[in-house]
Amino acid sequence: MDIMLKKISKSYNGSIILNKLDLEINRGEFHVLLGPSGSGKTTILSIIAGLTRQDEGDILIGNRNVSGLPPEKRRIGFVFQDNALFPHLTAFDNVAYGLRVRKVKKDGIRRKVDYYLSKVKLEKEKDKFPHELSGGQKQRVALIRALAAKPEILLMDEPMSSLDALTKDTIVNELKSIQQEIGMTTIYVTHNQDEAVLLGDRVSVLNHGKIEQNESPDKLFYHPKTKFVARFVGIKNILNVSVMEIKQHDVSMQINRGRSNQPIRIKVKKYPIFEKGKEISLCIHPEKITLKREMKVIDVNSNRIRGKITNKINNGHAIQATIDIGGVMLHATIPKDLFDFKPFEDVWVCFDRDAPHPLCGRRQRTRETERRCLSM
Amino acid sequence: MKLISFNVIMSLIAGCFVSLIVLPILALLTATSFGELINQLGSPIVLSTVLISLETALIVVLLALLLGVPVAYLLAMKNFRGKEILDTLVDLPISMPPLVAGLALLILLGGNSPIGGFLSHHGVDLIFTKKGIIIAQLFVSAPFLIKSSREAFESLNKNFANASLMLGASKFYTFKKVLLPLAKNGIYAGMVMTWARALGEFGATSMVAGCIPFKTETMTVAIYQNAMSGEPASSIAISLLLIVFSFSSLIIFKSRIKRQSCLS
Repeated sequence: MDIMLKKISKSYNGSIILNKLDLEINRGEFHVLLGPSGSGKTTILSIIAGLTRQDEGDILIGNRNVSGLPPEKRRIGFVFQDNALFPHLTAFDNVAYGLRVRKVKKDGIRRKVDYYLSKVKLEKEKDKFPHELSGGQKQRVALIRALAAKPEILLMDEPMSSLDALTKDTIVNELKSIQQEIGMTTIYVTHNQDEAVLLGDRVSVLNHGKIEQNESPDKLFYHPKTKFVARFVGIKNILNVSVMEIKQHDVSMQINRGRSNQPIRIKVKKYPIFEKGKEISLCIHPEKITLKREMKVIDVNSNRIRGKITNKINNGHAIQATIDIGGVMLHATIPKDLFDFKPFEDVWVCFDRDAPHPLCGRRQRTRETERRCLSM
Repeated sequence: MKLISFNVIMSLIAGCFVSLIVLPILALLTATSFGELINQLGSPIVLSTVLISLETALIVVLLALLLGVPVAYLLAMKNFRGKEILDTLVDLPISMPPLVAGLALLILLGGNSPIGGFLSHHGVDLIFTKKGIIIAQLFVSAPFLIKSSREAFESLNKNFANASLMLGASKFYTFKKVLLPLAKNGIYAGMVMTWARALGEFGATSMVAGCIPFKTETMTVAIYQNAMSGEPASSIAISLLLIVFSFSSLIIFKSRIKRQSCLS
């Protein structure tokens, strides 16, 4: 384990920001802290860096307990959201700053700074001041400034938040390749799920100072474990269902949508957490839903529900359709070339039995509950 | 039409204000001849007042820099108990009448006070000496440097200091290499204001150091003394010289700021 946070708590003016937070990050891992504003992710970085003092708990980097050390003794690189390049120094001098602090000889400084500038293709910009650089160039300089000082770990606080989409894509790729090349343990804070998927080896989703889920991006996005995580990663399809009948491999369920409506029955892959009569939340990824005009083309093993398209949004790559299935709204993401439906058209909403999975609804689970919740 | 009349009214008001500044200076300029001016400025007593004023004001600026910048840094960057009180105390000399400041210093540093008595016993006399002038001028003018420097530190992005610390720099190295260079324009502005205030200081200086020719007589004190004793020519010459000093220090400061903004 390269970074270990043990029972970290922090309050500001009586309001709890972090509450006994534990986090373990492996050596060389690119770990993303994902969460909305105010979830405590920047506070975690600030506490690891030593810029904010925690009320309780310990921070271990490698085998060192750095909890009591000042920031300058922790050997941590930090890339700030606003890049914080020193405006009175050139790009070269900004990158050289940490090396000069460590009293590296002039030749060594020149060699190292030139190496890092070439890594991000900024050799020609080395004599420019920060105000003469573009947003992307500034973030690249900020990144190599942190790396050149040879830290043990790297912390990045929403470094892409002010960049345009094209620059962001380029820098995300550069960042990932540099991180993989040097193998430096990195913690990256963002509220952007796309950055989390592209960069993270593992992602921790934070909510009100607690980690809701800590997993690989694939698991997180296709198997969120709580309503918060599901909603935060963009899965709007959360159904309240009652377990009707449990068979050997699948389970019959009824979608709860008020007393006045006819029940809608669906069949779902069996999970150990299901108990007859129990109410539970199910989540269905919008990409796992398909729409059909005719019933006869639907696989008999699939779930099919009659609904009406109420809205469609073109997001460039796909169509995001909202379908009313009798008081309950389902959202489907359909590739553009497969979507030939009109607004308010009646359609069959189809999804396989293994598409829905249960949201256990708890942040802190024991190993046993975890096993019961999702394993087969 | 309405816009034109608005601009005309604003220009007239601005013209009135400019007249308020220019007319007294013109009055001074026309009150003496060039030959008389040169003659007065060449006299040993006037030269002495000029040298005393320049010397004491220069020392005051240096002392204010040495003592005031750390105070400004603390007020701008740190939160501590009693900060509000310190802040108010630092500003107090700006609002305090100089004569009151002078009287307070006279009582504090006079031979009858414990501090004045202690210093006098050890051979350090402050009353009616150049040292007294410096203390009086420092008391009333240093807050200008502190105020301006504090605003400069406060305007800096807090992450500059954090970034320096994260790169392994000590707090002192960060202060020297990042914060000071970035706050320098505010500090320069404070130095110019302190210099101008010290050079023009009269009330506190005259109370603490009196008016001993060739020893403690500063330019402002000489202006008052000569004007009161029926020698306006000398007062006018020194006054014009003071205006030149103030004007030139402002010009130098502004050209420096302009050059900096062209570079950045």
